[in-house]
Amino acid sequence: MRTRKVSFNLNSEKVTVYVKPYETLLETLRERLSLTGAKEACSLGSCGACTVIVNKKPVRSCLVLTLEVDGSEIETIEGLKKDGNLHPLQKAFIDKGAVQCGFCTPGMIMTAKALLDRNPRPSREEIIETISSNLCRCTGYKKIIEAVEEASKKE
Amino acid sequence: MILPRFDYRKARSIEEAIELFDKSKGPASYLAGGTDLIPRIKLRLNTPSLLIDLKGINEMSGIRKKDGLLSIGANTPIFELRENHMIKENYPALAEAALFTSCETLQMRGTVGGNILQETRCLFYNKSLEWRKAKGFCYKMGGDRCNTTYGKDVCYANYLSDLSPALFSLKARLVIVGRNGERRCEIKDIFTGKPETPFTLGEGEILKEIEIPDVKTKGTFEKIRIRGSIDYPLINGAISMDSEAPLLVIGAVGAKPFTYRVESFDDNYISSLLEKIYGDLKPVANTVVSPLYRKKMGKVIGRRLIEKIKKGV
Repeated sequence: MRTRKVSFNLNSEKVTVYVKPYETLLETLRERLSLTGAKEACSLGSCGACTVIVNKKPVRSCLVLTLEVDGSEIETIEGLKKDGNLHPLQKAFIDKGAVQCGFCTPGMIMTAKALLDRNPRPSREEIIETISSNLCRCTGYKKIIEAVEEASKKE
Repeated sequence: MILPRFDYRKARSIEEAIELFDKSKGPASYLAGGTDLIPRIKLRLNTPSLLIDLKGINEMSGIRKKDGLLSIGANTPIFELRENHMIKENYPALAEAALFTSCETLQMRGTVGGNILQETRCLFYNKSLEWRKAKGFCYKMGGDRCNTTYGKDVCYANYLSDLSPALFSLKARLVIVGRNGERRCEIKDIFTGKPETPFTLGEGEILKEIEIPDVKTKGTFEKIRIRGSIDYPLINGAISMDSEAPLLVIGAVGAKPFTYRVESFDDNYISSLLEKIYGDLKPVANTVVSPLYRKKMGKVIGRRLIEKIKKGV
């Protein structure tokens, strides 16, 4: 099947790619654009390891076709670092030891970033509610929640 | 998991979407949020040759009041039901059902229309093609048996929408558009009662909006699931009350929700109503818990909902 043209803003940079109609955003990011931050785990939308931000909303990139995001604003974990400085969320995850194997971390951070972007001072309950969207099987959620709390104080 | 080949088109209007559907050479499917459809395609449970994206159709979005009704566009993300002040104020059962649906990220992507029209699920059906081939196809896959009960000539897949029981309790009506124009029906009328083909919608028909009477209601929602953070219901229920008797709805067992009118709060009446619920629910071993547990929890959920509405929620 012929590839189709799609353009979007990726981490504030205009990108045009030719993709298959049945290609997911996750495949395009990882395999065409070499952005391997977003991970593929369950591939069915349950785990959240592939979360990226599309038009300010967190989405599971394994469930989104690349053609669906034509003209959208996309943020991935690779775009968080600004002028050589890590994003407050990235720093907080390191400081609080909220990373163990690291597989869920990019998804966790992008979900948390979407929360802090719409609500810069979330309560602990709101953080728990939001971060419940993502599955972590080794770090445990306590340190991740503490890291998001810490980042919300610094932002 | 890699998607099979299909084409993708984005529709700008309902007419264009139906035209694309009619002109499609192979089977076509409508795509809204995709949180139910894309995993199904990955598992080869759906094999469309064309996906028609409905997200660009503006008239299917948004929540507004019109002609004594509250209209919810089918494209409205589930998350907006949680945030909308009219829904939180007037239809608490629906706002709570949205809160209990899946997880926050998927609520932002999944749509109200897609949630209502989600396919029925079964422990032995929502599996990869390889898994299903090894076991042998069941009725719902075009085979000749049920892989849960072995042999019985019926499908037992469960309809697992959390929004539907709330919408049943709120006497919602649906606006459906097809080739021959627009029609309205009660939400219960879109169900066939057969889990293998759960909906009565015709070829190419589109659910455009959901209409709820514009009256203030009291109500609440209950759900039992394995993981509190994100999971389908093992059993769920909603209750809503306007000026008339409350409507109690129990869902997630079988092909469609069960509706009961709570005529009185008298203890004997409630006991007999709960026994009726217990009798109506016929779960089989196609979830991760025992059928008897789900049957018993139908009564428990019914009692909890009635007690809450009695206290005024």
